[in-house]
Amino acid sequence: MAAVETRQKRLLAVIALPMALLALSAVYPVFFTINAALKTRKGFVLDRFGLATDATFANFGQAWNQSRLSEYFTNSVVVTIGAVLALLLISSFAGYALAILRFRGSKIVFAIILVSLMIPVQVVLVPFYRTMIALDLINSRAGLVIAYTAFFLPFSVYLMTAFYARLPRELFEAAQIDGAGLVQIWWHIMLPMGKPALLTLGILNTLYCWNDVLISLLVLQDKRTLMVGIAALRGEYTTNVPLLAAGIVLAAAPIVLIYIVFQRQIVSGIAVGAVKG
Amino acid sequence: MTERQPSAARRRFLGDNPERLGWLFVVPALALVIIFRIVPLIWGFGTSFTDYNGMVAPRFIGLANYASLTHDPVFMDSIVNMLILLATLPIWIGLPLVLAILIHQGVPGGKLFRAVYFFPAVLSSVIVGAIFNMLLRYDGSFNAMLKGIGLSPVDWLGNSSTALFSLIAVQLWATFGMSLLIFLAGLSTVPSDMLEAAKLDGAKLMATWWYIVIPSIRPIIEFAAVVTTIGMLTSMFGLIYVLTAGGPGTSTTLPEFLIWLEQGRMNRPGYASAISMVLFAMMAGLAFIQIRIMSRNASL
Amino acid sequence: MTLTRRALCAGTMLAAAFAVSVGVASADTTLTVWDWKSGDPTTQPYFDAVKKDFEAAHPGVTVKYVMQPHDQYYTLLGTAISAGQGPDVVLLHGGSQTKERTGALVKLDDNIADIKGRIAGWPEFTGADGDAYAVPISIQGFAVYYNKDLWQKAGLDPNKTPKNWADLEAVCAALKKAGTTCFALGNKEGFGADFFLSAVAANGWTAAQQEAWTKGDLKWSSPEVKAIVDAWVATKGAGWYAEGANSTAKFMDEYESFERGENANTIGLISDVAHWMEFDDFLGADKVGVYVMPPVAGGDGSLKLPLAGGIGYGVTNFSPNKDLAIALAKSFADTPHMQVFFESAGAIPADTKVDTSKVESPSAKQILAWLADGVPLAHNNMSTAETEEWHRQSQLLFTGETTVDKALARMDEVQAQAKKK
Repeated sequence: MAAVETRQKRLLAVIALPMALLALSAVYPVFFTINAALKTRKGFVLDRFGLATDATFANFGQAWNQSRLSEYFTNSVVVTIGAVLALLLISSFAGYALAILRFRGSKIVFAIILVSLMIPVQVVLVPFYRTMIALDLINSRAGLVIAYTAFFLPFSVYLMTAFYARLPRELFEAAQIDGAGLVQIWWHIMLPMGKPALLTLGILNTLYCWNDVLISLLVLQDKRTLMVGIAALRGEYTTNVPLLAAGIVLAAAPIVLIYIVFQRQIVSGIAVGAVKG
Repeated sequence: MTERQPSAARRRFLGDNPERLGWLFVVPALALVIIFRIVPLIWGFGTSFTDYNGMVAPRFIGLANYASLTHDPVFMDSIVNMLILLATLPIWIGLPLVLAILIHQGVPGGKLFRAVYFFPAVLSSVIVGAIFNMLLRYDGSFNAMLKGIGLSPVDWLGNSSTALFSLIAVQLWATFGMSLLIFLAGLSTVPSDMLEAAKLDGAKLMATWWYIVIPSIRPIIEFAAVVTTIGMLTSMFGLIYVLTAGGPGTSTTLPEFLIWLEQGRMNRPGYASAISMVLFAMMAGLAFIQIRIMSRNASL
Repeated sequence: MTLTRRALCAGTMLAAAFAVSVGVASADTTLTVWDWKSGDPTTQPYFDAVKKDFEAAHPGVTVKYVMQPHDQYYTLLGTAISAGQGPDVVLLHGGSQTKERTGALVKLDDNIADIKGRIAGWPEFTGADGDAYAVPISIQGFAVYYNKDLWQKAGLDPNKTPKNWADLEAVCAALKKAGTTCFALGNKEGFGADFFLSAVAANGWTAAQQEAWTKGDLKWSSPEVKAIVDAWVATKGAGWYAEGANSTAKFMDEYESFERGENANTIGLISDVAHWMEFDDFLGADKVGVYVMPPVAGGDGSLKLPLAGGIGYGVTNFSPNKDLAIALAKSFADTPHMQVFFESAGAIPADTKVDTSKVESPSAKQILAWLADGVPLAHNNMSTAETEEWHRQSQLLFTGETTVDKALARMDEVQAQAKKK
């Protein structure tokens, strides 16, 4: 038995090698981006892969000013936080209702959510824009929060439903026998139990909202978000890669920082939620 | 528990009736989805029967758009490309699943890998595209490496036979971190004593995976399969735009890219809507089949 | 009594408030301009000058630039147009992108009489009805830039540019012998094939043929067009280009390889980017030469630069302030503004009154001298559907997956379909 265990350990160690290579390939773009951001455009054209020898920080300054990042930063933060919170709350409600409560018609509701997951964004652009105008949501951050919530909701509801459906039903039934109300069960059982899925959704939705360009372009035309500012750094013909790289480093830095700082909480959060069964 | 009981009246309103509370809890989600997605879908469905060009009032032309789709070679090629793309789905699921299980089972360095695999997903497709553009071009580093080990260089993105697969590989590389994260969340619900018990029984690693781990996260796998399929069909635009622009010829033109082309540059929203409807129907059909196949054991 | 007074009072105040708000609204007009350029540092001084002068001349009016990412520009514009709400003034590419959107633009004819003579490039912004729909601000054209050092190394006289196709073939043969790639070529998006078509057609087709081409009457399978497509394949066969054209982006991979000195010639632009100003910067002004692409066949021996209106400003027909918007569109083409545009961005302006005498770059001087007498830019006058299909076919011709005859048959088909509409 011990032999089996050591053999497994050895096997895992061997597997770790290709995994480390893959990890290296995943880190490379980060290195490349930072390195490119430190070059001048001319320096980059002449030598694309070499180390930036005369490191310049001018690109960061230019990206900051040209894409008016300071102005757009707040918009991105406010909208992302608002939308992610709304998404988590609404999808945890809906997941609970669809997977646990299972009212009459829940299958149809789930089907509608599924269908909406499959609608290509391009086809809804024009009617979506008209709806936003009709509801007077254009050019407001609240409008963008609503738009993001609506666009990323099907995915979130689907994940929460799949996750809650996985939980043993006895948990719910035991709580009911204990006399807990259905709202209490949501608050005391479903939310804590859903933590791994909610954390995952939190990460993914933060990324979606933070990185979105198209929806933001349509909804916020006066105030813009960070990624729109970055996207505009690409000209019609030229992509000034060092400038763009600097912009991307600036825009991705907050996300990466949050991820690194909260890495432990996220990890333990996912572990705590594990079902002790 | 008893001391937290709300008043009987409030409980009657909210708490007791699963029917009523169920509806109450899905209303926000349902309303948003219907207003911002379903209604536009129906609008798009209507547009697909017109010659709408965005300026003049649309004229009803029946099935003419759909009829011209059938002899549009570009559209036909895009569907073929889509089918090829879909055939690679097992890799899109299998790779992150295997990696997630390995990390879950404590591969050395697992925590680091989990953090790092996610990096490409954080960077936008523009940067990923710019990097692979330089790696994969004819005089790029990848070919230099091939030459170094005595192989002949290949124009990865400029050849109809390799362009689509190169594109798929880059997109897979850029997004597997997302699926990995979803699988890890799912794995956290696998009872650890079940795994311990299997280990004590001396079960082989593979057997443990096949008989315990994978069945226990089946809903998550099903979820990932559906979401990945949808992602494959609707979120490759950024990479196509930067890496191949749909070419050479039509070899990397996917329906999604064609919709963008028809809607924007060609200014034919009516025709673009028809393509969208076909794409939507195919996605819905696929998801239906996937769910049918995979949820045989799941409870939903 | 008190009640009446109070009511009156309230009424007056309400009316006053109303009047104030209406007054503010009418004095406080914002004109929204959509473009894909205003954030670019090289064009910044131009956009700033237009905004400053226009706001000074029209008190209470604010000019707001909204720069859209280029890849989504026409998608967004299409969305705004079909919703009937959005920008007042829009930047447009000349040719089919303007012509296929005239339904959403204001006819400018009555308003541009005063600038019509001074500005060049109108045909690209004129609709099928013969009316102008946008004010051109730049002139676009294709010139062949070459690296004099590389020519010299290959034993060529850097001051003796090719006058006909045979000369050009000799140049490429000499360069090939010296181990230098003759032409930089990027055809990932199909732009390389566009440029080749326009540059080679420019002096090979007669004016009548160019006109027939614009109307869709000159078929792809006709000998004039076939000769060019044949040349597209033959030049590849003769080794004019480096391997991998299909995976090289014209902007800017192709031009960057030229700037690195990896190849000796490139078909470049005269405005925006990939022009004299940029090449001078990398290679040195005295090392950059420029010539007009000779035709593969036909022509009268003269070599004229293929030219067309580049980009221009139109006014949307849903703008609530059309007159102001038209004035703004015209202001972009004011001579002092055009002067700034030329000097800061190196764009050849649409305004013929701009003072270009201070330019020192030899290639720029040469280009300016050619401006007076240009020929049409053939690819600009194709329908969008044809352009897209030509992009695809040109790539397949390079991979060998299609033959010239098959490609031309397909192009004929697309051309006929586009004409029917």
